Amino acid sequence: MEIIENLNWAIIAPFFIIQLILLLVAIIDLVKIEKTNGPKWLWAIIILVVNIIGPILYFVIGRRNN
Amino acid sequence: MSQFVVLLKKELLESWRNFKWIWMPLTFILLGVMDPITQNYLPKILDTMGDLPEGAVIQLPVPSAEEVISMSLANIDMLGILILVLASMGIIAGERKSGVAAMILVKPVSHHYFVMSKWLSSLLLMWISLFLGLLASWYYTGLLFEFIPFSDFLLSFVLYGIWLSLVITITIFYNAFLKTPGLVGFISLATIIILNMVSGILTEWLAWSPARLMSYASQSLMQDGLPENTIASIVLTVLIMIVLLFTSVFIFRKKELAV
Repeated sequence: MEIIENLNWAIIAPFFIIQLILLLVAIIDLVKIEKTNGPKWLWAIIILVVNIIGPILYFVIGRRNN
Repeated sequence: MSQFVVLLKKELLESWRNFKWIWMPLTFILLGVMDPITQNYLPKILDTMGDLPEGAVIQLPVPSAEEVISMSLANIDMLGILILVLASMGIIAGERKSGVAAMILVKPVSHHYFVMSKWLSSLLLMWISLFLGLLASWYYTGLLFEFIPFSDFLLSFVLYGIWLSLVITITIFYNAFLKTPGLVGFISLATIIILNMVSGILTEWLAWSPARLMSYASQSLMQDGLPENTIASIVLTVLIMIVLLFTSVFIFRKKELAV
């Protein structure tokens, strides 16, 4: 696992931080929102498990507009 | 005019409450950053993870900074368009379905302003997201490869932004006369893909096609000055946008009376 030590964390870190922000915003919204497009627990799994795409999918499809 | 400002503010507030102003810029930044990082670390990843026999040597050509940025552009061209269309496919159709549009339009609100405010707020969001995404790509490419002149970056950003503006206008256009958001998204994507494919095949004949702006944007990185036909392409794109906007207001007004 030498490569992990050699990574330049200053460069990689923002990438993960952005991902984390997306994930957190999606989860907080999911907790607050009344109804989603489809079962709530399913969206929770999608947001947590599917990397990057999960939160985006939730915002695009999962949120009901009204 | 003040009516327009009110409507625009309402749109901006709504896309803020939808978290569009958070996730869209962040997504574009991720899309922009991805290519510089993977291009930089790909040889190292192959070295350690690849199941290569001892002594095998893979020589990957190191891409130039311009090539990396145009890879980011291509990345945004696929996923970015998908996200933009999906995010704006319900912008009018959804409101019509839920009755919000009827509630607004029962008041003496101009249909022009109604459609234009939605168009402008999506456009604003797109330009800012695209700028942040490409800026991130430019900066990371600078860190990991080398910095290219900022003016080159700005030029390709503007060229590409014009194409994405047309993408949004097409989506708004279909929004005006279809009621189902899913259908709007599907037809918009189909139109854009066909436009892209046809102008990709007939490059000679359709040199002024709006869909060529994407390749002009990446060409402008590699060479000095604007590629040939860029101006014609921009003019045509803007014309199509104006025509589409006016037609969509027209159709929208007719449809609204019918409903």
